[in-house]
Amino acid sequence: TMGLLDISFLSDLKRMNKRQVFYQFLSFGMIVSSALMIWKGLIVATGSESPVVVVLSGSMEPGFYRGDLLFLTNDLEDPIRAGDIAVFRIKGRDIPIVHRVLQVHERDDGYVKFLTKGDNNAIDDRGLYAPGQLWLEKGDVIGRAKGFVPYIGMVTIVMNDYPKFKYAVLGLLGIFVLLNREA
Amino acid sequence: MSQENAPIKIDKWDGNALKNALDDAAKKIMNESYGLVESFKLIDGRLALCSMAVSCSLFALLWDFLYPFPASKTVLIICVACYFILTGVISVYLLYFEGGVFYVGLEKDKAGIDPDDKWTLQSSLKKYDDQYCLKITYTGGVSKQTRSVERVCSVTEFFDEEGTLCYDLYEATVKGLKDSLSADKKAK
Repeated sequence: TMGLLDISFLSDLKRMNKRQVFYQFLSFGMIVSSALMIWKGLIVATGSESPVVVVLSGSMEPGFYRGDLLFLTNDLEDPIRAGDIAVFRIKGRDIPIVHRVLQVHERDDGYVKFLTKGDNNAIDDRGLYAPGQLWLEKGDVIGRAKGFVPYIGMVTIVMNDYPKFKYAVLGLLGIFVLLNREA
Repeated sequence: MSQENAPIKIDKWDGNALKNALDDAAKKIMNESYGLVESFKLIDGRLALCSMAVSCSLFALLWDFLYPFPASKTVLIICVACYFILTGVISVYLLYFEGGVFYVGLEKDKAGIDPDDKWTLQSSLKKYDDQYCLKITYTGGVSKQTRSVERVCSVTEFFDEEGTLCYDLYEATVKGLKDSLSADKKAK
C-alpha cells in the first residue's frame, strides 16, 4: 500500500517485520516503565506517596516560591517538631499544601496533633482545614521537605494550566520514540 | 511484509537509515539468493527479556493501584529490583550475545539428517561515519567450526546522489563475500 509510508524518512518503518514493529512498541514501553519504576522506587525509598511536589502558591515566601520543586521524605519514626516544613493534604481535597508546623501536641501513647501556618500568611491554617477540624494528624502528612530546586516546577504548573500543551508534548515524544528505528 | 522490488530510497545523511537499508538488503539477498531460512531465536530472546521487564512494571502499577502504598511496599520493592536487574541483563544480552548481529540464516542439510549450517551477518556503522563494516560468519552444523570474513566499504559505493540504494552493486558485494566463505569451505 502506497501513500503515507512512501515518504523517504518513513521507508525505514515500511521494511520492518512483525518482530521489529513489536520491538518499537516494547522500546516505548521500556522508556515509560523506566520512568515508572524510578518513581515507584523513590516512593518506597522515601516512604512518601509523593516524593516530589511543586510549590503552588506564594504562602511560604521568601523561603519557597511558586514553581519550586521540593524533595520529600516521610519517616514516620522521626517526630514532628515545630519549625518542620510539612507537606499535607486536607481530607477530601487533592491539592498538597506546603506549610510550616507551628504547634505540636504529643500524648504518651504516641498520638500527635499539630497546627500549621504558611510563613507568608497572616493567620494559621485552621481556615483551610475541613469543617470542624482544628488539628492535623500524622496520617495527613505526605512528607517533610528535605531539599529543593528552584524554578523547575514552573513547567509542571504551566502543563497543568494548559492540559492541551501537556498532551501535545507527551504525544509528540511518544510518536518520536515509536517512529524512530534504531540500527 | 510485502516483497516489493521498488528501490529503497532514504535520506543519505541519516546514518541510521543507511545502516538499516544496507542491513535489510543483505537480509533479502541471503534469504532469496541462497534459500536460507531465517532464524529468529536471538531477536526472540531480546523480545522476551524486554517483555518481562515491561510486565514487571505493569504488574507494579496494577498492584499499587489496587492496594495503595504503603500496603504495596513489599511488592513494589520486588518489582523495582526485578525491573532494574532485567534492564542490566538486557544490556549484557545486547552487548555480548547480539553484538551487531542482524541476521541468522540456517542452511538446511539436503538429506535432512545433519544439523543446519548457520550463516550470521553482523554490521557496524559509526555515527557520522561512512565506513560500513559487514561481517559474515559461517558455523558448520556438523563440524561446529566457524569461519568468517569481513569487509569495510564506504556507504558511498552503494548509494547514489538521491539516496537510492543501488541494489545490484550491493548484491554483488554481499554475494562475493558469502561465496568466498563457501569456496573456503569446499577447499577445506
